Amino acid sequence: MLDVSRVQKELVEIDRDKRISGVSITLHGDDISHLSGTISGPIETPYEGGTFQIDIQLPASYPFEPPKMQFLTKVWHPNISSQNGAICLDILKDQWSPALTLKTALLSLQALLSSPAPDDPQDAVVAQQYNQDYPTFVSTARYWTETFAKRSSLGIEEKVQKLVEMGFPESQVRTALETCGGDENLALEKLC
Amino acid sequence: MADFETSDDDYYGDDSLDGLDQEEDDLLWTPQRTPSSASKVITRASLLAAQREDLKRVTEMLTLKEHHARTLLIHHRWDVERLLAVLVEKGRDRLFTEAGIPILDAAHQASARSTSSIMCNICMEDISPNDVTTMDCGHCFCNDCWTEHFIIKIKEGESRRVRCMAHKCNAICDEAIIRNLVSVKDPEVAERFERFLLESYIEDNGKVKWCPSVPHCGNAIRIDGDSYCEVECTCGLQFCFRCSSEAHSPCSCLMWELWIKKCKDESETVNWLTVHTKPCPKCHKPVEKNGGCNLVTCLCGQYFCWLCGGATGRDHTWTGIAGHSCGRYKSDHNKVAERAKRDLNRYMHYHNRYKAHMDSMKRENKLRETVQATIATSESKDDGFRDYSWVTNGLNRLFRSRRVLSYSYPFAFYMFGDDLFKDDMTEEERQLKQNLFEDQQQQLEVTVERLSKFIEEKFDKLPEDKVKEIRMHIINLTVLVDTCCKNMYECIENDLLGLLQSTTHSIAPYTSKGIERASELSVCPDSDQILNSSKANDDDAHDPSWVSSAPGTDSEPRSEGQVSCASLDDNGCSSRKRAREETLGSLLFDLNLPAEVA
Ligand SMILES: [Zn+2]
Ligand SMILES: [Zn+2]
Ligand SMILES: [Zn+2]
Ligand SMILES: [Zn+2]
Ligand SMILES: [Zn+2]
Ligand SMILES: [Zn+2]
Ligand SMILES: [Zn+2]
Repeated sequence: MLDVSRVQKELVEIDRDKRISGVSITLHGDDISHLSGTISGPIETPYEGGTFQIDIQLPASYPFEPPKMQFLTKVWHPNISSQNGAICLDILKDQWSPALTLKTALLSLQALLSSPAPDDPQDAVVAQQYNQDYPTFVSTARYWTETFAKRSSLGIEEKVQKLVEMGFPESQVRTALETCGGDENLALEKLC
Repeated sequence: MADFETSDDDYYGDDSLDGLDQEEDDLLWTPQRTPSSASKVITRASLLAAQREDLKRVTEMLTLKEHHARTLLIHHRWDVERLLAVLVEKGRDRLFTEAGIPILDAAHQASARSTSSIMCNICMEDISPNDVTTMDCGHCFCNDCWTEHFIIKIKEGESRRVRCMAHKCNAICDEAIIRNLVSVKDPEVAERFERFLLESYIEDNGKVKWCPSVPHCGNAIRIDGDSYCEVECTCGLQFCFRCSSEAHSPCSCLMWELWIKKCKDESETVNWLTVHTKPCPKCHKPVEKNGGCNLVTCLCGQYFCWLCGGATGRDHTWTGIAGHSCGRYKSDHNKVAERAKRDLNRYMHYHNRYKAHMDSMKRENKLRETVQATIATSESKDDGFRDYSWVTNGLNRLFRSRRVLSYSYPFAFYMFGDDLFKDDMTEEERQLKQNLFEDQQQQLEVTVERLSKFIEEKFDKLPEDKVKEIRMHIINLTVLVDTCCKNMYECIENDLLGLLQSTTHSIAPYTSKGIERASELSVCPDSDQILNSSKANDDDAHDPSWVSSAPGTDSEPRSEGQVSCASLDDNGCSSRKRAREETLGSLLFDLNLPAEVA
C-alpha cells in the first residue's frame, strides 16, 4: 500500500518552501496517489517565465518505485515528448532511489529544462533540431513557452471551455480564472 | 578408398582373428571408457557445490566474505579467470567498486548506533536504533523500508544485484541481511531470492547451460572449453551447447536455424503453387498450366490467359489470344517462374537427401534392437567365447555418420546457396568448392551405405567363415567411415568456412568418439558441509517442481498476474527464467541455507 504518511510529509515540506524552490504540488481530490505538480521555467532558458504543469501518479509501492510523471503543459525539449509530454529522465526510471522525493524529482525536471541531454532523447525531432539548428530550437521552445506555459496567454479560452465542460457556469468560470491569474487549478478550487 | 578391404587400417584389437592390428585406440567406440569428460553435468544436488567451488576459490584468493565473492562472480559472469585478470589489471579497489562492493568503513556503523533515535530518510519516521540496519556502504534506513525495498527488487527479478536505497549509491546489499529481513516478512520471496542466487550460477554463466530436454531432466551442463561443441547430458539428450537445439554439426547454428525455419515454412509449397498454378477467374480453383501456350482451360470450361489470369475466349495463336491483350511479356513471366522453380528444385534436392538419411537413421534404430538380440543369442550359442563388439562399434559408427551425412545436406544447401555466402565467393570458386565438398560427401555416403548393408546381414544364420568375412568388412568400413567424416569436417573447416572473407562461421568439431557425454560433477572433499546439505535434497531429485522448471516450457503463455516477472525482459533475463518462475509457483525447492547463515 501507498505510504500515505510519507506522501503527506512530503507535501507539507514542498508547501513550506515553494516560493524559494519554484516547484509546488496540488492535490487532485481525495486520491493522494494522483497529484499535480508545477515548476517554473528556469531563468535564462527558453522556458523562462513559463509555468509547467506535471501530472504525477504514485504507484502503490511508492517510494520504492518511482512516481510516474508527465508534462501536461506542452513543451519543446529534447527529453520531453512534444506529443504527449512523456519524460526521459533516469531518476524516474532505473536510477530512482526511495531516498528521493517528489520535490527532488520536480527539481530534477526543472534542471532538465535548464540542461537538456539531446544524446538520450525522448523526442527525436526536437533533439535533431537541438543538435543541428540550435537557434531555431531556442525560438521554437520560446514560442511554445509563450503559447502554452504562460498563465494569461492565449490558452485562456481553452481553460474556460475545459471548466465549463466540467459543469460550471461560464460567467463564474471567467471570474474565477481572472482572480487566479489564469491558473485553472486555483480557479477550480475556487469554483468547488 | 579403393582397397579398403585389404587395408590394415583397423582398430580391432583381438588378434585371434585375421591378425588385425590395433592401430588407433582413438577410434574405439566406447564412451563409457572416458574416465571423466571435460563437460560436467550439474544436477540439482550438485548445483550448490558447483557454485561453492568458485566461491571458495575467490573468497580464499581475495580473503573476503562469501557474499562479496558472489557479488564479484555475478558481476563477472562466474568467470574466475576474468575476475582475476581485472584484479591484476585494475587493482582490488576498482574491482570492488565496479562490482558494487563498498570498501568497508566500520566507523559509520558505530556512530550511527550511539544516537537515541534515528530518522529514516525513506519513511521519514523516527526509528529506534534497534530497528534500523546499516549497510556496508554506511547507509542506514529502517528495517521496514529495507524489507519493502528488497521484496520489490526480488519480485522484479533483480535478486542478484539488489542495490542500496540511497540515491547514487552503487553498493550491492549484503545477501545475509536481505535473507534475514525478507524471510521474516515473506518466506516465499526469501526462498525465491535463494533460488535466484543459486541459479545465477547457471543463468549468468557463459560456461553453463540448462539441458534443453523436454520434460526437463533437471540438469545443467558445464563445459570446459570452446562453446562450439556438442554434449550429451546424462539424461541421454545430445545437443548443441551453443544454440541448445539438437546436435546439428556440420551445420553451423545459423544454418541450422535457417534450415528448420525453411523446412517448417510452407512457403516452398506455396511457391510451387504460385508458379505452377493460377486461380480460374470463374470458379477460383487453381489451374495448372500444361503445354507451351498461354491459353489455359479450367475444368469448369472457362478459358483464361495464363499471363494475366484474365478470362478470355478460346481462339488463340502461339503469341496471342483473340480479342485479348494484356501487354505482358511471355519471356519476363517465364524468367520469374524459372527462378522460383529452380530455387524450389534446389531446396527439394537437399531436403530429400537430408530426409532420406534421417529416415534411414530411424530404420537403423530398429535394426539396433534386432542386432542386439542377435548378438545375445549368438553369444550364448558360442559359449560366450566370441566377442561381438565389432557389430556394436559398427552400429554406433553407422549412427554417428548417418547424422553427419544427414546434416551435411542442409550445410551444403547454405554453403553453396545464395542465402548466406553469396558475396563471399565468385561463381567459379563456389563451383570448385562445391565439387570438392561433394566428393567428400559422396565418399562418405557410399561407405555409410556399405556399412549399413553389412550390418543388416543375419550373421547368426551364416557359417563361420562367412561371418569372419562380414566381420572384416564391418571393421574396415567402420574405420573408413570415421576417416571420411573426419575428412569432410576438415574440408568444411579448412577449405570452406575457414576461407570465408566477410564472416566467421564456426561449427562444433568432429569427434571420432561421438558426442561427449558429460560426467557427473564430483564434489571436492573439503566441502563436506555442502555435500551434506545438498544430499538432503537428493531424495526429491525428481521433485516435479524442479522437473517442471524445464526450459522447454518457454512457450507457455505468460500469465498476466505475475508482477514479479513483468520486468524480467528489461533486466536481460532469458525467457527461460520467466518460464521457470511461472511453473515453479510457490513450490520452490527447500534449499538449505548456506552454512554461514544457518
Ligand atoms: Zn523507514
Ligand atoms: Zn549505500
Ligand atoms: Zn538432460
Ligand atoms: Zn547450434
Ligand atoms: Zn473454373
Ligand atoms: Zn495453344
Ligand atoms: Zn493476359
